[in-house]
Amino acid sequence: MAEQGEPAEQSKTADEPKVSAAELKKRAKADKQARRAAQKEQEKAPAEVPPATNGAHQEHLTQAQGVQQDQKGKATQAKGQQQPKPSKQGGQEVRQERGGPSQPPNIPLRNKAASTAPSKKLPKKDNTVVELLSHLYPVQRRPNLAGVSKDVHPAVLALGLQISTYEICGSSARCVAMLLAFKEAIQAYTTPRDTSLPRHLVSHHLSPQIDYLRSCRPLAESMGNAIRWLKKLIVELDPDKPEHEAKDFVCEEIDRFVHERITVTDQAIAASAQDQIRNDSVVLTYAKSAIVEKTILQAHEQGTRFRVIVVDSRPLFEGKRLATSLMRAGLEAQYVPFSGLAHVVKDATLVLLGAHSMLSNGRLQSRVGTASVALRAHKADVPVIVCCESVKFSGKVALDSIVLNEIAPPEELLLSPIPEKSPNHPAGVATTAVTGKSAAPGKSAAPGKDASEDDEPAKLKTLHDWNSIPNLRLLNPMYDITPAEYIRMVICEYGSVPPSSVPVVHRLANEGM
Amino acid sequence: MPSSMVGQTPSLTGFLKSLKQNDIENSIELFISLLKRRQIKNSRPCAIATTHLLLRVVAEPKRKWDAQKLIARVRNVGRRLIAAQPREMAVGNIVRRVLGVIREVAERDEDPLTDSEFSGSASPITEEFQRPALPTRFSEFSPLHGAAAMPHNMHSGRPGTADSVSMDLGGTPQRPALLSTNASYAGQGPPGTSLFSILQHPQGRSPVATPPPGTQSPVTGPSPSRRAIGGEIPEKLDIKAEVIDGIKELQDELDVVDNQIAESALDHIHSNEIILTHTSSQTVQKFLLTAARKRKFTLFHAEAYPNNHEATHVTILNGAQGEDDSDERWKPLTSLGITVILIPDSAVFAPMSRINKVILAPHAVLANGSLLAAAGASTIALAAKTHHVPVVVLSGVYKLSPVYPFDTDELIEYGDPSKVVPFEEAEFTDKVDIVNPLYDWVDCDLVDLYITNLGGHAPSYLYRIVADHYRVEDIDLNAKLDAVAKKG
Repeated sequence: MAEQGEPAEQSKTADEPKVSAAELKKRAKADKQARRAAQKEQEKAPAEVPPATNGAHQEHLTQAQGVQQDQKGKATQAKGQQQPKPSKQGGQEVRQERGGPSQPPNIPLRNKAASTAPSKKLPKKDNTVVELLSHLYPVQRRPNLAGVSKDVHPAVLALGLQISTYEICGSSARCVAMLLAFKEAIQAYTTPRDTSLPRHLVSHHLSPQIDYLRSCRPLAESMGNAIRWLKKLIVELDPDKPEHEAKDFVCEEIDRFVHERITVTDQAIAASAQDQIRNDSVVLTYAKSAIVEKTILQAHEQGTRFRVIVVDSRPLFEGKRLATSLMRAGLEAQYVPFSGLAHVVKDATLVLLGAHSMLSNGRLQSRVGTASVALRAHKADVPVIVCCESVKFSGKVALDSIVLNEIAPPEELLLSPIPEKSPNHPAGVATTAVTGKSAAPGKSAAPGKDASEDDEPAKLKTLHDWNSIPNLRLLNPMYDITPAEYIRMVICEYGSVPPSSVPVVHRLANEGM
Repeated sequence: MPSSMVGQTPSLTGFLKSLKQNDIENSIELFISLLKRRQIKNSRPCAIATTHLLLRVVAEPKRKWDAQKLIARVRNVGRRLIAAQPREMAVGNIVRRVLGVIREVAERDEDPLTDSEFSGSASPITEEFQRPALPTRFSEFSPLHGAAAMPHNMHSGRPGTADSVSMDLGGTPQRPALLSTNASYAGQGPPGTSLFSILQHPQGRSPVATPPPGTQSPVTGPSPSRRAIGGEIPEKLDIKAEVIDGIKELQDELDVVDNQIAESALDHIHSNEIILTHTSSQTVQKFLLTAARKRKFTLFHAEAYPNNHEATHVTILNGAQGEDDSDERWKPLTSLGITVILIPDSAVFAPMSRINKVILAPHAVLANGSLLAAAGASTIALAAKTHHVPVVVLSGVYKLSPVYPFDTDELIEYGDPSKVVPFEEAEFTDKVDIVNPLYDWVDCDLVDLYITNLGGHAPSYLYRIVADHYRVEDIDLNAKLDAVAKKG
């Protein structure tokens, strides 16, 4: 065998220098290109991909690259797009899923939740990034638990998913929920032998939880402040304290924090704000703020006669939930889509707004659309009052809505598929990329894909085909910044202050501690 | 109801087809019911339908019209149409334009030899005339051009005729006839010609002899020759034919209005601009498409939920569609290399600091320069104003209404609340008041530029265009016609 093999080999080797030198070169070039492309992909890949998946991730990418290299040309490019499951679909959930150990990397998976046509991941230009806001990409949402570090406590895991799907929405709610989940995580923690709780807990136990939460959705300002407080608290613990005492102490402090800075504060703010609601007021509010809701309900219980206008917007429709709860409480409520804003502002006597955070230059960061509401109200001489706990006050400054923002998955802007016959089909209620649109959009995506392949005349593209159009972007910002001039007053637990006093309160409340 | 439309979705094209078959009264009834049921909506379809309907009304076979009877007939029909859907202002605009055509034809015919544009009171006017001629502002086509063209009610201290609309103007002194071109007038003309034409004005025809391109009226040709031949032609036939010609010009104007507006696209859109627009207006799409051929820009497109978002999505993805039901679509902007970013309406304030221009398409434009546009436009315009972003409004002259917005709430139409919250949610729709306005009123202060098929104008100039196109006595169609004595 060997002898037979040898001459063949020798002849081969004799020929090789001539033939395969060129071939080798070609192959080397191809490899290099593949590696470069993979590197580019990796650079584009977000940092938030948990370290555990990196290896699998790369592996997958090179395979995708290989797959793509096999299929060149336009006709097959679609397939090539389909195979690596849409990268930018709402974030990295799919990549991470594939990166999970249970799935062999070769098989392209179609995540049911990913309803859109495949994005052109492989061409250099990312179809989904709005360049103006490229610093806010990639979008962070997480539909499942693939690739999560093993250190993350189950309570935090659950919380992360709830936050990602907007079941827990609103910065106070998220802050409280996060602290409560951390309590459980801390209770479950045991200090390793060589180190002490204050030193070890934060960096090795809390950090993975925080990173995980961040991968589910960017942290709210209130959550950031709470985490800073918590870290400070833990680090300043007495290292000689026995572990269970330290843990109990931390948990009690967390309870106290939640109680003092959110629960009681909300009551105080509501009591203060409800004085602004007088008989025969017309209160206008936008989207859903827990504290504004509380204020309104409290004022109603006090017996004040007033009515409420709720302005709502796509895609979250939070205002609808607020209007429902007000309606159930027996209030006279009016519900208006955002386009009706100009019409109802004239009737309003007071505008109450909630906040995501108050910035140190007096500006308000709140749900996108708030700035328009405040602007309109200001022009109509209707006072605008912001109710905001001090835990949401921030040291950041921003001049426009582009520097500090959060981009939500563009898929949230998609409507449920429109049946062709009825042009008046009501818009679908907002769902996220996670809960997805179930089977129906999957169906509409399929014919949509075909449509984008041919030259479409028979079938009109729907918004579900947006990924197949190279120059189309969907932008779904979550926040906007309201200039300080439009805000009359900010009510926090330290009293009613003008927006210019925000940095003072911030120093007092968040940094003085 | 005429049976010809049974079985089809009622719409503009269906209506136009049925016009050929039905008799006039049935057609009018059909149109009224389409308007009432909002099966024809938006300015352009309504304007087109009204023009066709009025053409049929005027062209009624075997009917001999004299001017006053024709005016009365058109006024009657117009009143009924406007009453069917008062907020659809394009209907009223077209009716008034047609009335203007009729009056002008009538005047021309009654004074065939003298200068009919400056009817009768030409000399008294020049004698009473106190204000100096303002030749630089009047084109040769403006009825106000030249000294003699000033209606003497302007001297009597009355406010600008176009603005004081809602009053009963039945007894107003006459205005000189509109010039023979019934298509839109160019408001700006070379300054020199009007002085020249003052000197020449005894010959009514001469200012018309060299009309600027694009506003040529075919009517001017035949009539002088006809008259020259010798005024023997019975006036009634003349009126009918000339009015029909005038209405046909109106129809042509409606056809080309978007193209004319789009002609100025390259003047206004430049490279690397970021433009904001909203709703699925054809006019805006055409405007942007024209610019897109030569310039690269970015477009933020607000989707106008809940009334127009589906059409907007379809327009962005597939390109705008021509009139009603035609299968041809223009190319979508994305296919021309323009980056289009779809944003929800709540997000218009956020990127405004980066936006260079806002382009809006109105539903109707009012005489003082304010406009009615799709709901959400007011928020956009206000945000643009705060950031000092220019707001450009694209509108054909047919949308320009002589109505002054005394009560802006009256002008807003409300739409279907089930688009906001479907009726299946019974508890919610029962207890909560859902409001879904279709239009927003945008004040003239918020608009920087109007681009019409006659070119670009500041909002403060629109009253002039109104004056050019509508007769004072037609503005209130409910007024009694003090017909014979006062020549309109």
